[in-house]
Amino acid sequence: MAGMSGDDADFAVLGGGLVGAATAWGLARLGRRVVVLDEGDVAHRASRGNFALVWVQSKGLGMPRYAAWTRQSSDLWSGLADELKRETGIDTRFERPGGFSLALDEAELERRVAMLRRLHNQPEMTVALGTEIVDRGRLAGMLPEIGPDVVGGVYCPFDGHANSLKLLRALHAGMQHHGAVYRGGCAVQAIEPSADGFRIRHDGGETRAARVVLAAGIGNARLAPMVGLEAKVRPQRGQILVTERLQPFLRHPVVTVRQTDEGSVMLGDSQEEAGFDDSVGTDVLATIARRATRMFPLLGRANVVRSWAALRVMTRDGFPIYAASARHPGAFLVTCHSGVTLAAAHAYVLAPMLAAGALAPDLAAFAPERFDVSPPG
Amino acid sequence: MSAPDLPARCDIAVIGAGPAGLAAATIAARAGLSTVLFDEQPAPGGQVHRAATTTPLADPVAILGVGQARGVALARDCAASGARILSGATVWSVAADGTLGVSLAGAASPVVARHVVIATGALERPMPIPGWTLPGVMTAGAAQILLKTGGLVGEGRVVLAGCGPLLWLLAAQYRRAGARIAALLDTTPRANWIAAARHLPGFLASPYLAKGLGLLAEVRRSVPVFGGVTELRAEGGTSGRLARVSFRRGARAEESLDADLLLLHQGVAPNVNLALSAGCAHDWDDAQLCFRPALDAWLTSTVESISIAGDGGGIGGAEVAEARGRLAALGALRRLGAGDPGGMRAKAAAHARAEIATGLRGRAFLDTLYRPAEAFRIPHDATLVCRCEEVSAARIREAVALGCPGPNQLKSFLRCGMGPCQGRMCSLTVTEVMAKARGVSPGEIGHVRLRAPVKPVTLAEIAAMPTSPEAERAVLRG
Repeated sequence: MAGMSGDDADFAVLGGGLVGAATAWGLARLGRRVVVLDEGDVAHRASRGNFALVWVQSKGLGMPRYAAWTRQSSDLWSGLADELKRETGIDTRFERPGGFSLALDEAELERRVAMLRRLHNQPEMTVALGTEIVDRGRLAGMLPEIGPDVVGGVYCPFDGHANSLKLLRALHAGMQHHGAVYRGGCAVQAIEPSADGFRIRHDGGETRAARVVLAAGIGNARLAPMVGLEAKVRPQRGQILVTERLQPFLRHPVVTVRQTDEGSVMLGDSQEEAGFDDSVGTDVLATIARRATRMFPLLGRANVVRSWAALRVMTRDGFPIYAASARHPGAFLVTCHSGVTLAAAHAYVLAPMLAAGALAPDLAAFAPERFDVSPPG
Repeated sequence: MSAPDLPARCDIAVIGAGPAGLAAATIAARAGLSTVLFDEQPAPGGQVHRAATTTPLADPVAILGVGQARGVALARDCAASGARILSGATVWSVAADGTLGVSLAGAASPVVARHVVIATGALERPMPIPGWTLPGVMTAGAAQILLKTGGLVGEGRVVLAGCGPLLWLLAAQYRRAGARIAALLDTTPRANWIAAARHLPGFLASPYLAKGLGLLAEVRRSVPVFGGVTELRAEGGTSGRLARVSFRRGARAEESLDADLLLLHQGVAPNVNLALSAGCAHDWDDAQLCFRPALDAWLTSTVESISIAGDGGGIGGAEVAEARGRLAALGALRRLGAGDPGGMRAKAAAHARAEIATGLRGRAFLDTLYRPAEAFRIPHDATLVCRCEEVSAARIREAVALGCPGPNQLKSFLRCGMGPCQGRMCSLTVTEVMAKARGVSPGEIGHVRLRAPVKPVTLAEIAAMPTSPEAERAVLRG
């Protein structure tokens, strides 16, 4: 733990979830002195509730840059997994066997296909997502346990998954391996820009840093104005069910059903506008359960051992915000709802930019100014 | 796939058919409110009166003690009150709006209650010693369940170890049922006797005094008792099963006893899982070393529609539980605006409160005397804490060193408490290990956040629950 009266660092990263930890690890491995300020044990933590997909196939409709950014992170992920394992001994169990979304009737399949067509036909698409429509016959060969209601699906070879809890722990162990200081129970009260950086007052005292990275998820909405930025993010509830451990039956992750490396099966996840209410509701869980048992009837017999709800960090258009403060140079804002998928991009692409002190121009699409123009219609 | 025997609605839902639940349901139904008592077991009685009406033991009163007769009477009164008793029903979720998720005979349904009384009793405190996961080691409570429901006693040389009234009770019951008890290893720290002495006057006035002394005398007559036991270990033989139990007494050299069955016990703690998952606030109780729900004078929790009766609200024993059951039901009637002919409710409540006070008189003495030694609550590095996910105390301490502030973050780091028991067997140990490692109080560390289903339920059962168009929209993609 750091000094008594306060820390002094190159970077203060506010938030110890997946976004903050990936960024902090990326900075620390470049030799920057990093302090991570985090809240306590009970906090809205999207990182503890996510579905752990490294997912490409449906990303980027409305912002082609996001499709490329996602694909890039997916390609960097195996390097991230290797480096974290070497450094910390923790295997994040990343796999990229290709993933599916499954349709339970023709209308669903048509909607999904139409969405993909619109996504691919965008003029600024610079990367291929490699998606293909798979009919029931081929699906049955790749996912032998599908039920009779599955009419078809979409396959993407760049889709994968990981163990997000091991990822979080590996990033924490890794950043501390590189000398970063993690301080829990330090909810931030104020960020005061000064001539030589930023003075951050928090529940654990005070931290001074030359630069500050806001990676506090939903908390960014409160913190951003302190450094002359704006983070229009809202919580979106996602509910997940998880079964007891089962014999391996599912080699590929499906967007709402995946078997973890430990054998349990995660089922999810809803997208609900429920404010800060992170309780679980049985009607949503019943819907998730019903769809999952129609996709894979063998799941009906499995015991559900847990459910949970977590709050995604959503912007109005669903895309990340990466921003540098013009008023207070050295302050940056990082926010997204795909902390697992984008972990590699945050560690290997974004962190080096932050270390150099500026966001690259090709991240301009993610700037918050996009919200300033009124939406069409 | 819905459960046809489950009512869709009721006025008062009571969960758990031990003394508290039976008493609560009886009062509620007698007042004319539609009352449903849900119980997981095949027959009412709870742990204390488990299988009171169905035990295969030839002479249950002689073996288990006269207390069983009370269980039979409570169940009979409850059945006569008009309350509906649903045995074999698992309540796996309780929401603050009074909606229960209930499974019965393999099908699940929601039941909406205007008021919920949680009476899920106590759980045994974990006793994580080296080797506690070996085959041949189990809790005294589990052994008592087998005795009551199946008339079974462990074969071979039985060693009991730990502290607390239930350990002595089981020793007596086991003896009467014909078990070969090689030893009772009493881990009560010697210093506890001095600390407990100042609470002795209360205990002398307690109804438990005569019963307790009789029990101690009975066991001491027939079983070798070793006092002041420390550094207890279960050791496996070549078969991988328990072979012997090693321990020390004070400064003496290590001793060991051959054993085929080791029964561990160091007291009980409120079973708070359902109440926690419903969002009821809980505080750390340092006298009883457990979390207990914050309750008002009518045993209503911080969630207005939920009351907590019996040992789930703090350990008090069967007689206190029964009085708390009545009090909680009276509080529920009051909240729901049920009629109060002759203004009897206040009188009945005062009577119940007086009974509770009498029953709790000796509690401070027992809590102090049988406060388990720290070494048996906060184990050495190599000892497993979370059995489901095989997490040792060392790994928890490493996570704390990494900055992990509490059990919720720990869960995401180590899966500790994420197994099928959902933390029922490890959460107290986890909290105390983290508190000690961080140098803060267990209350500051807190409890792991619990979510439905609090008990395992199949996916098909959940899939059969009602849904809504909003829920469909929230789940469907693309």
